[in-house]
Amino acid sequence: MKNRLNKTVAALATGALLLVAVPVAGFASAGAATKPVYVIGYEGPLTGPANQYGLNEVYGLQLAVNQWNANNLPFTLEVKQFDDQGSGTLSPAQAAAAVAVPNLVAVVGPAFSGATHAAQPTYEAAKMPIVTPSATAVGLATTGANNFFRMVYGDDVQGTADANFLLKVKKAKSITVIDDATFYGAGIAKVVTDVAKAAKAKVVTTTLPQSTSCSAQASVAQFAAAATKIKNAKPDAVFYGGYACDYANLLPALSKAGYKGIVMSADGSYDAALMTQVNPVSAAKGAWLSAANCGSTGNLTGATAAAYEALSGIAPASALYDAQAYDAGNIIVAALKSIGVTALGTNTITQTRSAISAYLHANTFDGVTGKIAFQANGNLVGTGKGNIAIYQITGKDLPTKKTCY
Amino acid sequence: MSGFFHYFSSHFESFRGEFWALFFGGIGSGIIYAMVAIGYTMVYGVLRLINFAHSEIFMIGGFSGFFVLKYGIGSSTPSGLSSVFFVILGILAGGIAGSLSAVVLERVAYRPLRKRGAPKIAYLISAIGASYFLINIAAKEFGRIGQSMVQPYTDHAVFTIFGAPIQMYTIIILIVSVLMFLALDRIVSATKLGRGIRAVAQDSETASLMGVNIDKTIAVTFLLGGFLGGVAGFLYAMNFGVLYSMGFTPALKAFTAAVLGGIGNLRGAVLGGLILGIVESLSVSFVNPAYIDVVAFAILILVLMFRPTGILGERLGRDA
Repeated sequence: MKNRLNKTVAALATGALLLVAVPVAGFASAGAATKPVYVIGYEGPLTGPANQYGLNEVYGLQLAVNQWNANNLPFTLEVKQFDDQGSGTLSPAQAAAAVAVPNLVAVVGPAFSGATHAAQPTYEAAKMPIVTPSATAVGLATTGANNFFRMVYGDDVQGTADANFLLKVKKAKSITVIDDATFYGAGIAKVVTDVAKAAKAKVVTTTLPQSTSCSAQASVAQFAAAATKIKNAKPDAVFYGGYACDYANLLPALSKAGYKGIVMSADGSYDAALMTQVNPVSAAKGAWLSAANCGSTGNLTGATAAAYEALSGIAPASALYDAQAYDAGNIIVAALKSIGVTALGTNTITQTRSAISAYLHANTFDGVTGKIAFQANGNLVGTGKGNIAIYQITGKDLPTKKTCY
Repeated sequence: MSGFFHYFSSHFESFRGEFWALFFGGIGSGIIYAMVAIGYTMVYGVLRLINFAHSEIFMIGGFSGFFVLKYGIGSSTPSGLSSVFFVILGILAGGIAGSLSAVVLERVAYRPLRKRGAPKIAYLISAIGASYFLINIAAKEFGRIGQSMVQPYTDHAVFTIFGAPIQMYTIIILIVSVLMFLALDRIVSATKLGRGIRAVAQDSETASLMGVNIDKTIAVTFLLGGFLGGVAGFLYAMNFGVLYSMGFTPALKAFTAAVLGGIGNLRGAVLGGLILGIVESLSVSFVNPAYIDVVAFAILILVLMFRPTGILGERLGRDA
């Protein structure tokens, strides 16, 4: 009997131990998870004809997040990717998906101006701070929204620098300005046109809508025909407001038509894909590009650049807007840290998102791209003078040697 | 009114200056349209069906030539005889891949429908389905980013006619197309095979009673049309590079050209292609180059309204 009782006691004890042990194990894992998780979204082109921009940027953000996670923060950070292929048609759905993530506190991106323009109403309604490393269209900062921030100077600065480069440095007296009818391309082309006209240059404007090379509808035949007209009109310079996928069609068309003047495009065309698509590659020789990544808005350097290359496999020197995405991640984390885990734990997600926007508006940051402070409209403080890089294509690769304007 | 005259006089001024360059540019694109249009017109001749997946035959031809040259040439640019060799190699790669895929397409997407006596709309849906299938599989396998063709030669202006530079590329496509058009014309009008194609086009039932193998004749038709389509894809890709969606616009233009010349009519397809290429190219003297596609498809609508049978008329089954 005693023996049997002992057995029962032993069985009960074992059962009790098991019962206790399970919750203990449960608590143990819950203990690790009490460190809350916050998600930073990235929206940009991760596939499609312009995905190089997206890859450049998402790795910049990921690097910032990895470094913070290794830094014993009171919370864990994650990056969630939203692939809009750079398209304004696809971006609202990606924005809707991003705002629906319950612990997603801010978005780095969208990368492209047209995509940002289309997604902004969704983000604004959700009070989601969007910090774009590269959307440069002027119109993005004139909507009165307070959730928009950009890490580069807008196309008013870049377009003016480009026009002045053509007019003053290259002494162009006549310019044909072409745009691709996108929100970005038409915007920067208009800035160049306005500045050139104000300087009394002879300006002819033409629209060549995005072709099948950019996953759009227009046929590539338009470039050869337009180039023939340009060759006969003999302007001193041609400026193209658009993306690399079509700049790669325009350059050979101009070269085959025998046009010998200056040809320039802006950051939409500063894409490694330009050099793999332009056919033959010699047609691009001598052409000019610009981007908003000079002076205080340069590329990653030093140990950060090495860490970036190890993470992404992309050479930082030609990874346009990598540093801007890295800094965008850092300032969002700075905002989270300043708000603090206590407030983050009690806030609703909308309150947290609004608090991040408020913090970004109120503070100045020291980033790898220099001092970062935002105007009320989301543009960087300052005139941006000296922040526009001008590149000339000389070989088979995207040029990295820049002059600042 | 004076503004109106000024508009035209100033445009005619520039028109005079750029006429020949635009004209030869138009011939270049017109030849590509013509080669693709032949594929549409031949299939229409024997099956009374628009093979809307023909645009993907064009794309497959482009990619085959692309891969052959990429691995055959590497990073150098050949010259002299090896240039000629690689151009011919690319043409064969494009043509063979084009004809093989056209034959497979016929077997998979059309023949089962034909055997079941399916209505015409089923062919159309099958064609569109096959087209989307091929576009998306190409996008998945080859990526959604355009790539430029490794150049088998160094393109340059060889000579000028009336001040218009004529590129080596234009000369190559002229020679290739003329040879292929002549060969095809001979095959269709003077061989037993061609007689079979014409017989099936005219009256397939009677043709089969007279001992013509319908299945084989249809397969040969797809083979020939696919060859030209594939070669056109390669020639186009030499200039514009390859992309999964590269076939869409040129093929739609080629379809326009086939209708313009008279669908079912081989010589009409060539004529239609050339006219379409030249007219759309010359139009940029008067309208923004962005309207080039508008001009092309306005022509299609006008032809359908005023001469639905095309310039040379439908000539199904008769001499070429």
